Parts: sequence; C-alpha cells; structure tokens
Amino acid sequence: MSGLEVSAVAKHFGGVYAVRDVSLSVADGELRGIIGPNGAGKSTLFNVISGHLAADEGAISLDGRRIERLPPHQRAGLGVSIVFQAARIFRGMTVGENVMVGAHRTTSAGFTAAALRLPAHRRDERRIAAAAHAALEMTGLSEFADRDAGTLPHGLQRSMQLARALCAEPSLLLLDEPASGLRAAEREDLIELLRKLRDTGLTIMLVEHDVALVGRLADRITVLDLGAVIAEGTPGQIRDHPQVIAAYLGAAP
Amino acid sequence: MSRVTRRIALGIGAAVTLALPLVLDSGQLSIYILLGLTAIVTVGLSMLMGYAGQVSLGQAAFYGIGAYTAGLLALHGWPPLIGLVAAPLAAALAALVLGVPLLRLRGHHLAFATLAMQLILLSIADNQAWMGGSIGLQGIPQLSLGSLEFDTDMSYAYVTWIALAGVVLTARNVIQSRPGRALRALATSEVAAESAGIPVGRYKLTVFALSAGFAGLAGGIYAFYLGYVSPGSFPILLSVGYVVMVVVGGLGTIWGALAGTAAVTLLVQLLNQLGTRDGVPGWLPSVLSYAVYAVLLIAVVLYLPRGIVPALVSLRRRADS
Repeated sequence: MSGLEVSAVAKHFGGVYAVRDVSLSVADGELRGIIGPNGAGKSTLFNVISGHLAADEGAISLDGRRIERLPPHQRAGLGVSIVFQAARIFRGMTVGENVMVGAHRTTSAGFTAAALRLPAHRRDERRIAAAAHAALEMTGLSEFADRDAGTLPHGLQRSMQLARALCAEPSLLLLDEPASGLRAAEREDLIELLRKLRDTGLTIMLVEHDVALVGRLADRITVLDLGAVIAEGTPGQIRDHPQVIAAYLGAAP
Repeated sequence: MSRVTRRIALGIGAAVTLALPLVLDSGQLSIYILLGLTAIVTVGLSMLMGYAGQVSLGQAAFYGIGAYTAGLLALHGWPPLIGLVAAPLAAALAALVLGVPLLRLRGHHLAFATLAMQLILLSIADNQAWMGGSIGLQGIPQLSLGSLEFDTDMSYAYVTWIALAGVVLTARNVIQSRPGRALRALATSEVAAESAGIPVGRYKLTVFALSAGFAGLAGGIYAFYLGYVSPGSFPILLSVGYVVMVVVGGLGTIWGALAGTAAVTLLVQLLNQLGTRDGVPGWLPSVLSYAVYAVLLIAVVLYLPRGIVPALVSLRRRADS
C-alpha cells in the first residue's frame, strides 16, 4: 500500500473538534487539493499528518507504515515535508544554509564525523550542497543563496521554505496555503513549479484558499467543513457539488 | 577577509600565542593560563548559547566536575593522563544525565535550573568526605606524560593553549557542518527544525554535553596546575562571569567568545590589582568583580546588543562598502 492513508482521524481542543472522523487516501504521485472555509480544520489536519499535533483518534500510514505515534522529526525522516503557512525561517543563517538544513533527513554525518572531519562528513557535505543547489535552482533562489535569510522579502521567504522542503527529497509534500500573500507573477511561477513537481511523481497535498488555483492543479480535491470531509472528487465534480456550494456560500442546501 | 589574509592572521596569532609564555613574568603567566582555561569554557558555552540558543548559568559546575575527576583519579594513583582524559568525559556524562530533565526547560527557566544544579553540586561536594569536604583535594600530583613532567607554569601555559586550539578547532568544525547547521536552525525555530527531521531534544542534549566536556577539560588542567581544588574554587560568580564574557564578546561567534574572555578577564585582573593595594578594604576586589560584570553586561546590552565582535565585523563591512 503506497501513498498516504488517513483513517478516522480526530483531533479536539478541549471539547471542540477541529478534525473529526477524517478518512482519506492519497495515491502515490497524486496532487490532492484540500479546500474548505476558514476553520474547516485544514491546517490542523496537516499538523496531525506531520506530527506537530498528536491525533486523538484514528490511524495514519505512509507507504503502508503506521506513523501516527511517531514524533515529527521521525515522520520527516520517512519523507513527510511540510511547508507552513507562516514563514518559519532560521534567522542568522543564509538562504543557502536554510535550504541545506532540509537535507538533514537524507544524510547522517554527526558530531564526531564533523569534529574530526571524517570522510562521512565530506561525503554528506557534498551531497547536501548538491541537493541545496538543485532546490535553490528549482525555486529561482540561486542568486539569493548567500543573503541573510531574515532580509528576504516575504514572498521569497515562502519560496525558501519550499526549497528547504524540496531539499529533503520528500515522498509526501504538505503545502499549507503556499500562494497566500504572493503577487500575481509569483503565483504563476508557483503554479508552474507545482506542475513540474507533480510531473516528477511527487505526492503533494495542497491546502489552498484559492479554489480556482486548486482546480487548475489538483487530480482530486477533498472538501472539509467544520472538521469533517463533506465531499471528495475531481475538480469538475467538486465545482458542482451542492454541499460544497452551500458550505462556501453559507446557503441552505 | 580573503583566505590568504586569514591564514596570515592565524599564523601571526599562533606565533604570538606560543611566544607569549617566554616573555611574561610569573604573575602574568598565571593570568595567561587562567585566560586560556576560561576561554576553553566560554567557547563551549558560546556554542550552547549562541548556536543552540540554550543558556547555562551553571557552567562552572562542569568545570568543577572535571577538576574533581582529574584530582580524585590522580590522588588514587591513576596516571595523570588518564585523569586528564577522564575529566571532560565525566563532565560530558554528567551533562547527559542532568540534561535530560534540565533541557525540558527553556530560556530563563533553564538558566535558573542550571544555577540550582551548581548550588546543589557545590553543597554535595562540601559535605562528602571522599571529595575532601569543604577543604577539598590537596596535593594533586603534577601532570606528566611518561618521563615528561609538567612542573613549570610555562609548560602548563602550553598545555592550556594547545587544548584551547583543539577546542576552537572542534567547535569550528562542528558549527560548519550538518549537525552545526541543525543546531543553529533549532535555536531560532524548533518546529521548523523538527520538520526538517532534526531530533531537537537529542541535539540540544549533545551540545550541552559537548560544552560541558570542554568545561571539564579546562577543569582537569586546572586541577593539575594548581594541585588543589575545593568547592570554593567554583563559585556561582564564575558561572556568571562565563555568561558575561560570551555576551560581551558576541553570541554566535567563536572569536567573540575569545575576545569577550580576554576583555573581561584582563579587566577583572586590573581591578583586582587596584583592589589589593595597601589600605584598600579586603572585600573590595569581589565587590569590584561583581560590579564590573553588571556594568559590562548593561553597557553591552544597551550599546552593542550583538556583542563586540559582531559589531566590529559589521563596522568593517560598512567601511568596505
């Protein structure tokens, strides 16, 4: 069983369910859009998949392996990469170094290898540099590699986070509203990049407010409302789904 | 700075470092040794504070653990070299064990917890007969390597500064590497670091142990050099001093730790000499050193919040452009 399998997952804060009884399966190489009104539980679902929030109920498996009890760094180690909605950058490090951190999971040289400059250190540094170079190239950030990450404008900080996630060579990429706050040209670049990534066979989950954008990219779309799945299907099916229209427009069904 | 000028600067620095013990008088030489030992501790603390974002106000405890380990082993007839190797290992091991509960805390909480740890360890040392109680350990033999006896201050100066060079090299190598980037990353965002697959808890613990190991090494040399250690050798003031040195020099740079250590140590020594003149009350030196820590810390935080070395570096950059 490859791909991501989420079954009957629930997460509540106090008495309020942010996510309840959510089941979905994302096939290998699929680009899945997740849409829903504000407070539908999209970001919570992502955090439960990445491990930053622990699921209260349910199971999550990645490529047939149960992951719902693993801490976030181990899930990252298995190939789950998340790009948060808010820019989380490593201050005091260059853009290139920020991206290089992404390659942590694919390498292993530790403190001893680094302190003694053992061959493992040199091999990993070469590998990290190559992966970071490729990720910077893909996101159009090569020219900023030596800049202090804190001095980048917001849009480029978002791109840098995506570059960091790509540098990890993920098997599942979670993107939480990557287009929010981007200018029109940046948005087109992002769509182009996501298409390219999809064509490489990477499994992607995309939370996005902009329904039209998701419709252009996604193979299938899952619609959340009040923490539960209310519809799932191809972009065409979702567009005409009465419950989806109701959830978005607030009209009675 | 280009590679060549950097090499030349390093070469000159090394030459001066090696030549200094030959020209210093005995009082100056002991300050020189103390400076080197202190720098070994502060380079480690700078990694912990500047790169991993964790504050320790109990670093002198690890210095003490190293000193007691070396002293006890030597007094029980082990070769001094074993004691010198065991000192950093014991300190690092203590940090690994104590760090598991301590590093669940952050920021001020961690600072206070490490302070409390040192007070507890001091009080234990004060009351344990096998550790010499409040009198401490006396008659610790000299460091020796086969037939080579380290019985002069000059030989300890070289041991100290070679150890410091090793510590600086180790710290530099770690910082410019995969684990080093991971440390710098988790210092600013633990959540994002975890998402990149970094085991944040384990990395914090490792750098805590590494910084303790450096302190333990300095403590080991100190025990052989002075031949005497007691709980009174490792006061809280020492731990506070280390933090002040790191902050004054500038967090997040090894050279900052070295510059801060040199500046503060020399200033405190100068005030000590003023304070121990005839007719000056006996309590003055310790009051002065507390005062100088306080004044320095406030002045740096107000006027050079990033510390001396980073401020100089950005001044240079501005002059260049």
